[in-house]
Amino acid sequence: MADVALTDEQRDAMVSMAVRGMARGEANAEQQALADAGLILIKGPMMMPTPAGTAYVAELLRLPDDAPERERIMATFHRFLPINRQLRDLCTAWQLRPDGSVNDHSDESYDADIRDRLDDIDDAVGPIIKRFAEDLPGIAVYRPRLTEALEKLDDGDDAWLASPLCDSYHTVWMHLHQELLLTIGMTRQEDEALEEQLVSGGGA
Amino acid sequence: MTPASWTSPIDDVGLVPFGKGFARGLDQRSLCTRGVQLETLAGLGLPVGAGLTIPVPNVPGFTSADRAKAAMNLLESISGRQISSTTETGGLILLRLSASAPVDAAGLPPDLVCLGLKRSVIPDGLGEGALTSLATSWWKTATFIAEYALEVPSDELGALDFDYPDPVARVEPFKELCAARGIAPFPEKRSQQVALGARAMIARWSSPRAARARKKQNLPADLPLALHLETIVVTEHDDEGYGFAVSRDMDSGAFAPNGMFHHGFRMVGERMVDGHPLDELPGGVEMLTGVLAELEGRLRSAVTVDFEYGPEGLALVGLEQLRRPNARVATSLAVDLAIRGITDESAAVGSTNPVHVVELLHPQPKLTGDEVPLVTGLGASPGAAVGRIALDSETAVELTEAGDKAILVMSETTPGDLPGMMAATGILTVNGGSASHAAVVARGMGRPAICGAGDLRIDRDARTISAGEHVLAEGDLISIDGSSGVAYVGELRIERPVPSPSLTTLLGWADDARRLGVRANADNAADASVAFDNGAEGIGLCRTEHMFLGDRLPFVRAVILSHDVDTEEKALAELAVAQREDFRELLREVGDRPVTVRLLDAPMHEFLPSSADELEDEKQGRMLEHLHEENPMLGVRGVRLALMHEGLYPAQVEGLFNAWVDVVHEDDVRPQLEVMVPLVSIPEELVMSLRLIRRVNQQVASRTGMVVPFKIGTMVETPRAAMMAGKLAQWAEFLSFGTNDLTQLTYGFSRDDVERRMLGTYLEKGLMTASPFAELDGDGVAGLMEYAAARAREVRPDIKLGICGEHGGDPASIAICERLGLDYVSASSTRIPVARLAAAHAVTGTDS
Repeated sequence: MADVALTDEQRDAMVSMAVRGMARGEANAEQQALADAGLILIKGPMMMPTPAGTAYVAELLRLPDDAPERERIMATFHRFLPINRQLRDLCTAWQLRPDGSVNDHSDESYDADIRDRLDDIDDAVGPIIKRFAEDLPGIAVYRPRLTEALEKLDDGDDAWLASPLCDSYHTVWMHLHQELLLTIGMTRQEDEALEEQLVSGGGA
Repeated sequence: MTPASWTSPIDDVGLVPFGKGFARGLDQRSLCTRGVQLETLAGLGLPVGAGLTIPVPNVPGFTSADRAKAAMNLLESISGRQISSTTETGGLILLRLSASAPVDAAGLPPDLVCLGLKRSVIPDGLGEGALTSLATSWWKTATFIAEYALEVPSDELGALDFDYPDPVARVEPFKELCAARGIAPFPEKRSQQVALGARAMIARWSSPRAARARKKQNLPADLPLALHLETIVVTEHDDEGYGFAVSRDMDSGAFAPNGMFHHGFRMVGERMVDGHPLDELPGGVEMLTGVLAELEGRLRSAVTVDFEYGPEGLALVGLEQLRRPNARVATSLAVDLAIRGITDESAAVGSTNPVHVVELLHPQPKLTGDEVPLVTGLGASPGAAVGRIALDSETAVELTEAGDKAILVMSETTPGDLPGMMAATGILTVNGGSASHAAVVARGMGRPAICGAGDLRIDRDARTISAGEHVLAEGDLISIDGSSGVAYVGELRIERPVPSPSLTTLLGWADDARRLGVRANADNAADASVAFDNGAEGIGLCRTEHMFLGDRLPFVRAVILSHDVDTEEKALAELAVAQREDFRELLREVGDRPVTVRLLDAPMHEFLPSSADELEDEKQGRMLEHLHEENPMLGVRGVRLALMHEGLYPAQVEGLFNAWVDVVHEDDVRPQLEVMVPLVSIPEELVMSLRLIRRVNQQVASRTGMVVPFKIGTMVETPRAAMMAGKLAQWAEFLSFGTNDLTQLTYGFSRDDVERRMLGTYLEKGLMTASPFAELDGDGVAGLMEYAAARAREVRPDIKLGICGEHGGDPASIAICERLGLDYVSASSTRIPVARLAAAHAVTGTDS
């Protein structure tokens, strides 16, 4: 990381790109600078981080093992994972009905029930984001982003719950999750194992 | 019941023990869905749990502690259980309060469990597991009451959760918070807890969140609630527990009671998906099988029951009808109910949606037993895909950009892998379940996916994957089935499955009910074989265009471009021989059934060289220039091309008639030949073609000694042909409406252009309700067809009339064909089952 000097704006753009995995559209000044530094790749209308870019962000966000706030963050992360499981299960129910058939969104009662349950999840994640943000101020941005997705969903566009093609509730949530994993330095596999342990009542 | 009646005033009807409501003249308006479920169960003589419904008019009064106390006294007397006491097995008796509305509604308040709890009543012997469940449930109930009835700020309640991870340690700070920030302290008295619980439920039902849920379901804003009060036993004793049972197997659709049960008590309203399988509950399956069969017969739907069991035996506490059964369940249930005599065959056919039939025949990998399974995981996103292994997002993108297909194979996916997931035709991951990132994203994009294939190893350095003995390199082909969760080595054929026994029975009943014949559009023996397996009675359209491509192309080209008679005749002779081979195979498959062979219909330009390199000489070049057309689809095509090159159709029918003679001799079958002339708009075009065909027929007869029987007919695909149908019928023994072209020419639409550029806007503006290429235009195009049918029948009453466009497989279009009195529809071979069912619906007037 030492040999890459980025402005604050460029650094934010790089974090956003790494967390999102890609961006579409014409490159702005920050993105062009990142491409020049070899941190992202511009392919036609698509931009994605290079391995060097991904490594840069991982190092940038990574909380030192001996950081004093680490214990608090991990405790909050343990609260986050069971809610994370609920959100993933809810997105599954949104896409597939219990019998495995595709949810075609023609059953208003079924969809309304899922939307209603999403409020429980949203209520639960609010205090969690607030706790994280006390030590990691950058995390606070996910609260309004989640709310924005909910508002768009309630405006009648079903895509805003789980579509991967917009900043849906699920997409924003996954970005939040990814940023947390990069921060605490945990792999997806470790994360999934921990989540399973927490939801199956095994403690942590 | 109409929506207005759900909210109309009803009289005070008191407290209603489960199972006593119908006898008191009450209905869904006051008992609401849960009350009615229990009445239904009790009415069948089935054991139901002890409990009370507080009917709609009595709910407001139930927020007083006196009323709550009266209800608790009644409940104790009918259940024989004393609230807050300890059972013989050491369990603690507490209360559950739940709510339901007069109709199925989302947004109901959650069940309030463990009401009536005081620290002093917790028995010493309660196990650790039961204590944890009790604490968790009580916390949910207590915070709900605090937030909605005592108006304690929710974020302050949430903060307690963080500050006191141990739920027992939270109790005192919780009470202090209620006293300090609520409108009243949290009550100790059981009756006050129940009354406050009711108040909290009413407040939640009035909250913006619940109002939004009602609005989303188009339910009245003032839809009322009934409450239900039951006893529960907090225990972890093995002899006491709860569970659910479903009447059908969701994969096969067959009646096969299955479910789960748990020891202990039900904490929340939702069913737990993991637990002990039902067959481990002594006597459970036997009893529930009878219950579920009885309920299916009574309710005519697949059902789920919730039950509790204890020393007194098994009691039913909930009932749910499967509102939207999947295709397998729906067809299997319809057939079973008819066989049991509860409904009849016609009801079974009428209740089955053709869309379900399409679902049942969804493409799947064609398994022959020779395929090599690679690894099995969880079928996380349905559908099948074939592609080359890509071990990262970049490789998947590169493969796709190069025009190949990729299957993204990764340990797990993250948001960073989105480009690869978008590029891939399918996704295979080692970790993760049906709710993993890969699964959610794959379903969101409609990509088949297998997740959690734990036996798969990925070596990113060697760029290989391995499972068991198989080692595959990046770039190797694999196939995945996102429904079964199995990945295979190599490329598997993707095909539609054969109909299940239930579907076969149902389609047999549909055949008995329908009037319209159902034929298939099939161009070769393989297509025909699928069509006959699917129940087609014959071939309604055999296109011959493909027979002119590939190694036959030079013959056709020679015919069109040749400038000497010898070359043309030689090419035609070779064409006749090639056609004989093609038709022989098809006719063998057709057997004694009818087969309509459409003579060449393609526009001329499809056979001409597209570049100068393909030209044989300069003369051909000049000829090609001369033959250039501005609008080939409306140019020298079909019968027009055949009349300009008079050897073409005779060569085709020579091949056809010779093939017929061959199969009569070799296979002892006599296909009923129908020769169809395309794109006729002038009756004399048909007459001239008929002369050419008859001449060949006589030649074949004199050479072989066999007169090949055939019928002559024409497509009706231009508006003029429809207007001239009377004249055409003087010669034609059948007419087949080619509704793709007829729709284009009636509207003056160029299909590709209109569908790509205009249709969306027209549908949005309400100018059209469906694409006229998908659903037959009932006014315009069908009007022309009706006119043509009437004129043709005036001249030849027994003329056979059919349809062979894509509309032949569309239920709404098939209903129009029934109205017009056509004799048959011809659909693509895979749509045959849909057409059979839709044709039956068309007779009974069922809306498909």
